[in-house]
Amino acid sequence: MSSDEMSKIQELFDNLKSDKYPLEEYRSVGKRGVRRIDGYEKATGYAKYTMDVQLPGMLYARFLTSPYPHAEIKSLDTSKAEALPGVRAVLRYDDPELPPGADLGGHETSDVPVLPKVAHFQGEEVGAIVAADSEEIAEHALALIEAEWEERPFVLDPEEAMQPGAPLVNPEAFPDGNITNQDQGIDVEEHGDVEKGFAEADKIVEFKFSQGLNTWIGPECPCGVFRWNGEYPEVWVKQQRPHICKRAIASWFGGIPMNKIQIHCLYQGASFGGWSQMPWNMGGHYCAAVIAKRTGRPVKWMFNRREDFYGGEMDIGIYYFKAGAKLDGTITAVKGRAVVVNQGMPVFGFVKHFAENTRIPNIYGKTEAVLVNKGPTTATRCEQNSNCYCLNEVFSHLADALGLDPVEVALKNDGAEGHDITWLNEQKTKLGFPVKDSLKECVEKGKAAIGWDEKWHLPGTKRLPNGKLHGLGFTWTHEWDDSGGTSEIAIRIERNDGTATILGCRSDVGVNAETAYCQVAADELGMRIEDVHYKAQVDATFFAMTPDTSTNMSVNGFAVRNAARLLKRQVLEAATIRRGVTQLGSAPPAFPGKKPEDLDIKDSVIYEKANPSNRKTLAELAKFAGAQGPICSPKGEPFRTGQPYLQYTYTQPLFAHSWQVQMGTYADVRLRFCRQAHFMEVEVDEETGEVEVKKVVTVNDVGRVINWEGCEGQQYGGAYMGIGRGRSEEVVHDPLTGVMLNGNLLNYKIPTMLDIGSIDTILVETGMGYGPYGLVGIGEDVATVTPTLIGPAVHNAIGKWVDDFPITPDRVLKALGKA
Amino acid sequence: MKPDKKVPVSEDEINFSVNGDLYKVRVQSNWTLQYVLHDELGLTGSKELCNEGACGACAVIIDGRPVLSCMTLAIECDGQTIETVEGIARAKHPLVEAYVKHSCMQCGYCTPGFIVTAKALLDKNPSPAEEEIKEALVGNLCRCGTYPQHIKAVLEAANNLHRGQPI
Repeated sequence: MSSDEMSKIQELFDNLKSDKYPLEEYRSVGKRGVRRIDGYEKATGYAKYTMDVQLPGMLYARFLTSPYPHAEIKSLDTSKAEALPGVRAVLRYDDPELPPGADLGGHETSDVPVLPKVAHFQGEEVGAIVAADSEEIAEHALALIEAEWEERPFVLDPEEAMQPGAPLVNPEAFPDGNITNQDQGIDVEEHGDVEKGFAEADKIVEFKFSQGLNTWIGPECPCGVFRWNGEYPEVWVKQQRPHICKRAIASWFGGIPMNKIQIHCLYQGASFGGWSQMPWNMGGHYCAAVIAKRTGRPVKWMFNRREDFYGGEMDIGIYYFKAGAKLDGTITAVKGRAVVVNQGMPVFGFVKHFAENTRIPNIYGKTEAVLVNKGPTTATRCEQNSNCYCLNEVFSHLADALGLDPVEVALKNDGAEGHDITWLNEQKTKLGFPVKDSLKECVEKGKAAIGWDEKWHLPGTKRLPNGKLHGLGFTWTHEWDDSGGTSEIAIRIERNDGTATILGCRSDVGVNAETAYCQVAADELGMRIEDVHYKAQVDATFFAMTPDTSTNMSVNGFAVRNAARLLKRQVLEAATIRRGVTQLGSAPPAFPGKKPEDLDIKDSVIYEKANPSNRKTLAELAKFAGAQGPICSPKGEPFRTGQPYLQYTYTQPLFAHSWQVQMGTYADVRLRFCRQAHFMEVEVDEETGEVEVKKVVTVNDVGRVINWEGCEGQQYGGAYMGIGRGRSEEVVHDPLTGVMLNGNLLNYKIPTMLDIGSIDTILVETGMGYGPYGLVGIGEDVATVTPTLIGPAVHNAIGKWVDDFPITPDRVLKALGKA
Repeated sequence: MKPDKKVPVSEDEINFSVNGDLYKVRVQSNWTLQYVLHDELGLTGSKELCNEGACGACAVIIDGRPVLSCMTLAIECDGQTIETVEGIARAKHPLVEAYVKHSCMQCGYCTPGFIVTAKALLDKNPSPAEEEIKEALVGNLCRCGTYPQHIKAVLEAANNLHRGQPI
């Protein structure tokens, strides 16, 4: 290994500090109006999604689902379904080819039944899957299956599930009780001494809040296609983590070499984290693989809209808090206990944001994570949702009890790991970051946009001329991405026209990362943005971080930059030497007598720094590609075998491969310096309990903006999804039957265009992120932080706390004593 | 809902125009227009999202009105003139480039439905006010929450139409 390579590797790992390589000039990064590379495809319907895939001879497969929340199949008669014309296969749970368990995806590897015979929630895919010539025939066949079910007792409420003698939710996997995992189901986080903190407090509040189950709503329903090309699988996945799909498939049927598996991950009709980490998310593919092999035909499996509704956000539950503060707003202690539903993800803990964002010295949080007979839960938009709720609820309740402006209480307690902002600023200096007060900058801009100083009032004190009660709400936390991750990227200069192609994995859910990669590469290479394109690989070959960690830019962005920097060096070298063209000839140096360091590139033109009029475009450099191309061509004169006086070396292709290993995620690895703040203005109708959201101001310190429209898109979208989750979205189950009641878009209310009056998006750029150029991710943040924002806004309007989310009209009326 | 096994499905031939192309298609009586466009004709811009008339992702234009193709039986479309997002794109309607410019799409699954609805609006009302745009598009759901960007794009497209500018 050369010393150059070694130094590069060392540099890659040394990334827990400020970016060492900012550019002097940004021509594409951070500029408005960069045309998104997927825009035309998506606008016109030409963009293809897995749901759109049709292959010759393709079969359509649908699962049998359980009518009961907990039941075992005692017998299954599939004979009528099998006899229906057009049905090509019925795969049953007792099929001898199905193993007792397989790796069917998930956060980690899993070992779960492919086609279970016991359902643990109503709507679960169990017992059988039918493949037919059309979806309609498959549906018809499902209706002909006669199943005898043995119903079992069930439990839906997390606190009931914890009681002694409660029905076992999943005795197959958890025979000892409903705590999700006897080792991991209880999580305790503790800093300092909360009792000491309460003794120091002037004011103590105690309260409880709860969240109803909300879910992701993937616009494209879960689906996939499996085809055997002879003995090799070709698979279309709608999954945020295509690499994990490939790893799982490689473990099936006695093992399939990774390099024999072809994965297609097309555009995805989003899933917001939902479904991507569930330990059965490859179950459909496994069944499709068996049927495809048996029938010799490709198989598409799919869920319908209702089936996408089963499942939802993790760590939804009941939270109990006690918090104390001094009269000036200095918080001395926070103690919480939570009973949450967590169906299989690692228990996360809910006081992390107090530790990561504040100077509060005494913190205690205990999570008891339980199972219930509802669908699987996972990180929906982000697992930090519970932390955002808790931080906001505690700060809002304390500010109210003290009669203080909540913005002031936030600023007073800003810090990290029990230390104040002064200490945090010292850490910024040590790591080479600019020292900026991110929260202060965010709240000042946000306050001005919402008119906080003019409009804020004590709770329940402002009635508008239209008779409604006016309220303002505020919340805040740090800006995050989960930057522990790795990424591989390659970039090449195309022959003939000198354009640049970025090669990487695609896992697109719409955050426009691929355009942002082009911006980074363009600026690093000195190329025009229109000369750089991201060519997504159909297969998950190069590993890249996927959107579900907000690390597109903070990890993959680095890999793009590393590759672009290596490639630029190659381009400048190539410009100074004789380049091989074909076996029969070569091109003279583009810049004879010059060294690479004499040259630079701007606007896709190579020029001599000392004499800018000496210039050649990249296209001119690359155009000498002959019919046989430059790759295997000798540099120099035509060579003749056996004539040793002729030198012939080979001109390397202009291609660079690079990678990034990014450290740092969550507490104790690195400090969070960037903050976000959100404001909301509401009007509440006391008669109906309806909350009208008049305005939202969303302020994110993303460190550095790469793609403005992409960041603003996350702010707009996050605000809409967040307001939906906080105000109207709740998956409701019938307590008597355990049946989900509103699994459709008529009765589960996601926001429409008219549900928020207006949104102001403000981006702050302090440069204090760990990503390239000081950036930090934004994708998960706004939709995860803002659901709780409606709480303080409604409280400010009506003067009463509504601590059960979502804040629906009936809950508002209840708080007002009217229901 | 379980299909009724007793009712035999009948078939018939329909003739209709889609984006100016004439089609003769044999359809079953229970096939939706969305299914025929998407699966039989390969016009994948009309998307299945809610499948019950709640979201607008499958919108097409019939007789100048945005129609939910998932709630329309294909067999009822005999003799109809239908416009889909593919036709709007082929005609280089300024909405398309305005949508790209204003980054109105994230995952993009619902975007064609918005363009179709917006096109029907502009056909009827070439100078819509912001409130009229919101009213026209309120039936189109976007889970990614791109809504504010659509208003900018439709206003710009309307403006470009007036100036007679193509894309």
